[in-house]
Amino acid sequence: MPPPLQAHRLLISHRRLPTPARRRFTAVSSVQSPPAKTLAPGPAASSVLSIRESLLSGERTAAEITAEYLSRLHRTEPSVRSFIHVAEAAAQREAEELDRRIASEGKDALGPLAGVLVGVKDNLCTANMPSTGGSRILEGYQPAYDATAVRLLREAGAIVVGKTNLDEFGMGSTTEGSAFQVTKNPWDDSRVPGGSSGGSASAVSARQCVVSLGSDTGGSVRQPASFCGVVGLKPTYGRVSRFGLMAYASSLDVVGCFGSSVFDTATILSVVSGHDKMDSTSSSQDVPDYASELVSLDSLESKPLNGLRIGIIQETLGEGVDIGVASSIKAAASHLEQLGSVVEEVSLPSFSLGLPAYYILASSEASSNLSRYDGIRYGRQISADDLNELYGESRANGLGHEVKMRILMGTYALSAGYYDAYYKRAQQVRTLVKESFKGALERFDILVSPAAPSAAYKIGEKINDPLAMYAGDIMTVNVNLAGLPALVVPCGFVEGGPAGLPIGLQMIGSPFSEGNLLRVGHIFEQTLQNFSFVPPLSSER
Amino acid sequence: MLAAAASAVPRLRLAAPPPPLRQAPGRIKWLLPRRRSLSSSVPNVTPAAGAGALEPPDLPRLANAARISLSPQEAEEFAPKIRQVVEWFGQLQAVDLESIEPSLRAGTAAGSSLREDKPETFAKRDAIVDAIPSYDDPYIKVPRVLNKE
Repeated sequence: MPPPLQAHRLLISHRRLPTPARRRFTAVSSVQSPPAKTLAPGPAASSVLSIRESLLSGERTAAEITAEYLSRLHRTEPSVRSFIHVAEAAAQREAEELDRRIASEGKDALGPLAGVLVGVKDNLCTANMPSTGGSRILEGYQPAYDATAVRLLREAGAIVVGKTNLDEFGMGSTTEGSAFQVTKNPWDDSRVPGGSSGGSASAVSARQCVVSLGSDTGGSVRQPASFCGVVGLKPTYGRVSRFGLMAYASSLDVVGCFGSSVFDTATILSVVSGHDKMDSTSSSQDVPDYASELVSLDSLESKPLNGLRIGIIQETLGEGVDIGVASSIKAAASHLEQLGSVVEEVSLPSFSLGLPAYYILASSEASSNLSRYDGIRYGRQISADDLNELYGESRANGLGHEVKMRILMGTYALSAGYYDAYYKRAQQVRTLVKESFKGALERFDILVSPAAPSAAYKIGEKINDPLAMYAGDIMTVNVNLAGLPALVVPCGFVEGGPAGLPIGLQMIGSPFSEGNLLRVGHIFEQTLQNFSFVPPLSSER
Repeated sequence: MLAAAASAVPRLRLAAPPPPLRQAPGRIKWLLPRRRSLSSSVPNVTPAAGAGALEPPDLPRLANAARISLSPQEAEEFAPKIRQVVEWFGQLQAVDLESIEPSLRAGTAAGSSLREDKPETFAKRDAIVDAIPSYDDPYIKVPRVLNKE
């Protein structure tokens, strides 16, 4: 029986946190707690840690853990459809290989992500698996190399279980733009998981894999994280190498990650971050061990966020924002105050201009980046009498509706005579947005807002109205324009679906402050009572 | 099969632009920003001094430039949507951005790091070649380059 509507529970602001009753932050072993048990309200536990403990103690083998996830995947896939490709045989083989190495080498065989099943968004290249970018134009394409982020996960011992669904080439906010299938939100199968990294978010939400990689150009990790009730992190531009990420808008794209807990998300961020000679925009800044900075609950003082200055972005709580979303965010802000922080409203006046500026920049850069899909070097080719016709037909046939629209809009914005009016002006707005954030982040340590103006939309609701679709990105695009890091943590529910629809709190920081965001997010998550963010479908046996 | 699909889709290269369509009034009004602090002009799409009136998108020309063959149905479907979005872009015209430097990028990745100018061999050339749809060792096959016209 599904749990009662979360929205009716007492808001955290109405309760005082009893010190002795606060839960310990312990890893919950995946053997003793089948998903049904985690429905009991309680803070998210780290699956990465619990897998590690099971393997170290010998309680479970990697093969058993993999089999459990694969079985849940198969049970839920007919409904959710997160994956374009599932690499079952390869995953089982890798798990067995890991077990063999554990048997002969002991715990030295365990990399930081040993035995952890990962989903990878299909716009990240994987050498032994098809990588389509969600597009027919790359149907059947198998890259010759792994994306750096994928390679680093594998080197740490992670097992790539499959490629997740997305809006074609990252263009979209619902995952309905995929050329292959529609992914459903695990919380309500008549609703979208968000986009463009909808499959990565739904896979973690439905517990089909432990963690996943996505990409965020205008909110594509944060909004699906909010819609699916999982943790989503957009790193600082340059924190994670973009090598192997199919480019959409090169000055905005980042590789991001999803987890069912802040701890797990912090763990994979450490693994995939760092300078890469194959990406000249990647940063040489040191990569901290983000997870090691996340303290356990019982070592927290009573006001662990003592003195933290938090700014709620005024423009994100007004007109056009769902009342349920606004109240969830305000409740989250009260919770943060209870933890010792000081919360004030802050205005970012250039906020709403950022949306058209983003779409001008993104479409323009996309029109250039997607010119490589010409039917010549890879992917689908339509034969023709002359070269231009081959390009025209191959692209017409292989590229989807939204992608064509954005390429055409970008071509327009960049054409002679229009560059100054559109692209250059958008870049000027970008400067305004950057300065606006910089000013606010001098007064405040972090800024908070919703990740989207509403909970998950119904499938088909936005599909015919591009502007209505774009409008939903207002909370997220400015962060990409400024290149800032942002973390989304589930904070509450609104009405809808069989068990309510999750809402995420977005926390934005200054460049390379992921560590601080994760620390605050972890404390928030671990002290959030009476919410369970495991969707009903993954609890049924 | 692919050739049949290709011939089933008529190309739209030099057709006349579609007739102008009337826009539904007030549709995108709520997406216009509150411009109190940035400019005192009315929240309408009035071009800033010097911008002049901008031509609406010429879809066939754009499709040609982007090398995407549009069918007449697609052109009809796209034109109003693209025009609507481009009009929405137009709100940037009304903002005073006179002294603002354009930002090419976010500026968070400090400095550019160039790697050593030393060639390295990529080990998996075969995999790259295997992905090529029309290959005739050592050539990538394409149809004639020069247009009859």
